[in-house]
Amino acid sequence: MNEVLVDVRDVRKDFHVGKITVNALRGLDLEVRKGDFLAIVGPSGSGKTTLLNLIGALDVATGGVVSVFGQDLSTLSRRRRAHLRLTSLGFVFQAYNLVPVLTALENVEFVLELQGAGSERREAAMSVLDELSLGELSGRRPNELSGGQQQRVAVARAVAAKPRLVLADEPTANLDSENAEALLRMMRGLRDEHDMTFVFSTHDPLVMSYASRVVTLRDGRVISDEQKNSDAHEHRRAN
Amino acid sequence: MRVPLLAKFAVRTMGRNVRRTFLSVIGVGVGCAIAIFMTALTMGSGEMRVRVIAESGYGHLRIVPDGWERTRDNDLRLTDWRAELGTARSMEGVRSATPHARTTALLAFGTRVAGLEMLGVDPETEFAMNRIVRMISEGRYLEPSDRDATVIGSTVADRLDVELDDDLLLTVVGKSGEMEYAMLRIVGIVNTGVKDIDGAICHVTLDDMAGLTGLEGAGEITLMLDEPDALEHAASRLRSIVQGGSEVLTWKEILPDQGGDSESDKAFMNLLSGIVVVVVVLGIAGAQLTAILERRRELAVLIALGMKDGQLVGLIFLEAVVMGVLGAVAGLLISTPLVRYTATTGIDLTRLMGGDFSVSGVLLDPVMYSDMGPWMIPLAFLIGLVSMLLAGIYPAWFALRIDPTSALSLREA
Repeated sequence: MNEVLVDVRDVRKDFHVGKITVNALRGLDLEVRKGDFLAIVGPSGSGKTTLLNLIGALDVATGGVVSVFGQDLSTLSRRRRAHLRLTSLGFVFQAYNLVPVLTALENVEFVLELQGAGSERREAAMSVLDELSLGELSGRRPNELSGGQQQRVAVARAVAAKPRLVLADEPTANLDSENAEALLRMMRGLRDEHDMTFVFSTHDPLVMSYASRVVTLRDGRVISDEQKNSDAHEHRRAN
Repeated sequence: MRVPLLAKFAVRTMGRNVRRTFLSVIGVGVGCAIAIFMTALTMGSGEMRVRVIAESGYGHLRIVPDGWERTRDNDLRLTDWRAELGTARSMEGVRSATPHARTTALLAFGTRVAGLEMLGVDPETEFAMNRIVRMISEGRYLEPSDRDATVIGSTVADRLDVELDDDLLLTVVGKSGEMEYAMLRIVGIVNTGVKDIDGAICHVTLDDMAGLTGLEGAGEITLMLDEPDALEHAASRLRSIVQGGSEVLTWKEILPDQGGDSESDKAFMNLLSGIVVVVVVLGIAGAQLTAILERRRELAVLIALGMKDGQLVGLIFLEAVVMGVLGAVAGLLISTPLVRYTATTGIDLTRLMGGDFSVSGVLLDPVMYSDMGPWMIPLAFLIGLVSMLLAGIYPAWFALRIDPTSALSLREA
């Protein structure tokens, strides 16, 4: 059994909208293990993004325990949570969210600068882009890139600091199937070659087909947790 | 050296909304320009005030007998005025020094009489130090060899209905308290154009003053400095070397009204500049906050990526610094022609002052000049940067309160 990176136990998350309380998560349990290529699926409002926010130390649970790399996030200060995100977590967003005034290379380099990397950061960022076959795009700004290219650069930014866990919120939602598949292959490659773990929230059947595990949420609870044969997709493509 | 990306980020952000950046920079620039212009005028008028006071016979510093400041008694004399004069002239930073003696006098010609404060002078040094006596309209100024001669103001001459070479009857109170009389020949008439001043001029040589009053020597040594800005330092040095029985006064102590006016002028101009800066800061803060609101999602993403509070505030303030620098440059570009014009051509206040250019017996220059100098550059950057940093406080605080979950939960088409 692989190491447990994320342990979510009986987690509840309530939102207050005016006088109404919305129970986004209602006693949710989940373990994310090292090497997972995990797709969290479910209808809108089922709690997918809320769960990613909690695992990503962007929000705190109303009840229960969220442990990431063995640390109970509710005990961490705002600064410690920021440090955890910077050093151990990577984020990929649906809308890419690259910094528009920085080039592709600078977007990747920026995360390394935030970490305090010195003069070697440019070379490190370039090597990440090269590894992901994005080197020729390094000097382009986001508005000079296609959606698929932007999302691949966003992945490069997410993995530049070699995080152990990458959280991706609907990463293929704005991509056509060809770009989506290229992105997923790239992320699978990163998982395999760098021991990274990926957690996606998605509606996309393509993402589910690539996932090694699919967790389905409904009304803030896990209703199914399906472990798949990780090579199934490759077999299907090969055939 | 590699430029930090945070700096590139800040600089390039200026180009996102060029119109807003331009207007903000112009806003800061106008604020800077107004503050620079006001400061230049204050400095220029302040310098002019000090210069004309010093050149109107008051000097920058004065050595007087102990107790003169309190009593203003013109019969007091320095114990050893020649030694004090030598000390003053030998001090570094003193351009010139001259002795004076004063007494109250009554001038008469026929049935006409005029009362005034008569001044005993050393003609050689007085002519060099006193701009008023250089405004001789008739005759000449006193010479060291003159005896029983006087130079009077044109208003005195008008009141007495006298002309050059007429003899005036002078009445003064002597040393023993008795009235002393003498005849003085008018060798020169001064016309400054200001009645107050021309009605108070009556100069005689120091020797004549001593002969008339029976009080030997000088009642004051008046000093002009090379650097008027070094007034307090020079006063302090002079105090340490003058003899006992004498004290050193600055022009501000001799003319407290003028000194107070100078300080209140500066305070008023600083207040006006401050108000302008506050208005600019409030305007720019609004624009900055709008910019932060527009970038809320982007900043949320940066927070999500792990940007720490200090780095986020640093980015906002770095952007403010860039804007402040641009604003300072704009301020210099706007203010320099104005300051240059007023520094070279000046502002003629003749109409405003109605032709009367004297205050407390000081002949003021009707044309006001501003002071133009390298000081404008640091001032522009100081105002630009401080304004923008102040304007950045609230937007930075707002940025810190951005919820990073919005980076994930905000959907974008």
